[in-house]
Amino acid sequence: MTKNKGLASFCCLIYAFLYLPLAVMFVFSFNDARRNVVWKGFTFKWYGSLFHNAELLSALVTTLELAIAASLFASVLGLFASYAMTRHAPFKGRGVYASLMSVPLMMPEVVMGVGLLSFFVRAHIPLNFWTLAGAHAMIALPYTASSIRARLLSLKDSRLEDAAMDLGATEWEAFYKVTLPLAGPAIFSGALLAFTVSFEDFVTSFFIAGIGIVTMPIKIYSMMKFGVTPEINALACCLLLLTVVLLASQKLLVRKDATS
Amino acid sequence: MRTIIAAPEDSALKETSSVERALSWLVRGKDPRASHAMLIPATLWLLCFLLLPVASLLAMSLATRGPYSSVIWTFTWANFARALDHKYLVIVLRTVGYALSTTGLCLILGFPMAYFLSFYAGKRRETLMILLMIPFWTSCLVAIYSWIIILGRAGLLNNTLLWLGVIKTPLLILNTPFSVILGLVYFYLPFMILPLFSSLEKIPRTYIEASYDLGAGTIETFVKVTLPLALPGVFAGCILTFVPCIGDFLTAEFLGGPKTYLIGNLVQNQFLMAQDWPFGAAVTSVLLLSLISGVYLYQRLESQELERA
Repeated sequence: MTKNKGLASFCCLIYAFLYLPLAVMFVFSFNDARRNVVWKGFTFKWYGSLFHNAELLSALVTTLELAIAASLFASVLGLFASYAMTRHAPFKGRGVYASLMSVPLMMPEVVMGVGLLSFFVRAHIPLNFWTLAGAHAMIALPYTASSIRARLLSLKDSRLEDAAMDLGATEWEAFYKVTLPLAGPAIFSGALLAFTVSFEDFVTSFFIAGIGIVTMPIKIYSMMKFGVTPEINALACCLLLLTVVLLASQKLLVRKDATS
Repeated sequence: MRTIIAAPEDSALKETSSVERALSWLVRGKDPRASHAMLIPATLWLLCFLLLPVASLLAMSLATRGPYSSVIWTFTWANFARALDHKYLVIVLRTVGYALSTTGLCLILGFPMAYFLSFYAGKRRETLMILLMIPFWTSCLVAIYSWIIILGRAGLLNNTLLWLGVIKTPLLILNTPFSVILGLVYFYLPFMILPLFSSLEKIPRTYIEASYDLGAGTIETFVKVTLPLALPGVFAGCILTFVPCIGDFLTAEFLGGPKTYLIGNLVQNQFLMAQDWPFGAAVTSVLLLSLISGVYLYQRLESQELERA
């Protein structure tokens, strides 16, 4: 393909636009000033005070626990659902299930948030860690399902299970000794996506996190709302690093999966 | 299921137990009942965490507000009448206007970008895609905070312009419709680029070469071959951008002012501050119904357009 200078510079501008806030955040995380607009000097103290902020650390632990629970639920549900959708003989109602599974992507989060809040409160279901984890799993389900579905479809052509069954394995043995290990990386990469979805989620948690459950985004929200502290930038840089690591490992998994 | 997975695996004698026969039936999937059984967990999950909550919201929108955020179950249309009252209709129309402008801007900015990534990026494509994903996965609260630093009255942008001598007094940029739409475009641009990119990727390059071979120019090839084949991506991108824009409330809360109040803010306020849940539910229902009808009309349009192409 030929080069296109105009388009390339346009894209550079878009990338600059996308990275401008991240760059500002990074630079200002070293700013030695309480008011965040003027540059006063270089400091590491905000990073230092992050690790002594007990509230922040406990919010981090809660967010991690939540993300682990949600990604576990979402990957198990996504595995069963996408297995039936891709590997089973076509059955009546498959289209209905398929569109049902994509509903969470088509629903503004604020609608899910207030819906869950009013439903749980009216049905006298306590708002606790598990209801929040369940809601996060629901939001993440389309991500895990599509990741696993892609892998199961590509495995379908390899007919390795047929070979296993020709060699005397039952269907179940072929599933958990052949299919499951081969789909493993895709399941894990779907789980990483779900983890990220849950980790970043603010809107749903904002509405249905019960009293006493403070996740990282909720903590950041209240820091922004009541009393700005420059710690936010330092915190955001750490979170960004975590996100990059998660995404990079997910990408690596997908690539390894494609080459194997 | 876990305990079953941990069941003894040495079935060397091929004495298949009934548990294993049942599992094999489930995995084999020749019987539609097995397929339904495997889809039950996800369906139940979506029922409990999505469908029932939304249904309860629709039901509540027809009830009356009681004291202390309680709900009295009497049938009334009053909440809807109030939600479509001129005072709130302005907010609804503003939200739709902002969402449409954001979608349009994202399409204008995102299409050239997706086109470049798909046709010209070459070896660097994968790196560029990852670079695109990083802002997309960054917490939007954090990005909002940075935009406040940039756009504020004594912010970076104003300071730079003052220093350059372009302006004499700081401009009011934050808390205007401009800053809200800028924030929305920032957050939802990747939602537009990704589907556009994947539909451009699916276009067989031989079609484009054939068009050139048959004497069409660059522009003619783009308009008559590339663009029609990329339409599914355009439609998907527009929906994926429009839907979250309609429900957004964080952007308007931090980057906007009283004049940029959106439906999302109204809903949040009714549920968490005013404690008028039935009215909040009615506003949410209006939001949801307009969204569903919009998406439905759009899909009709899409299928017509695709048939023509």
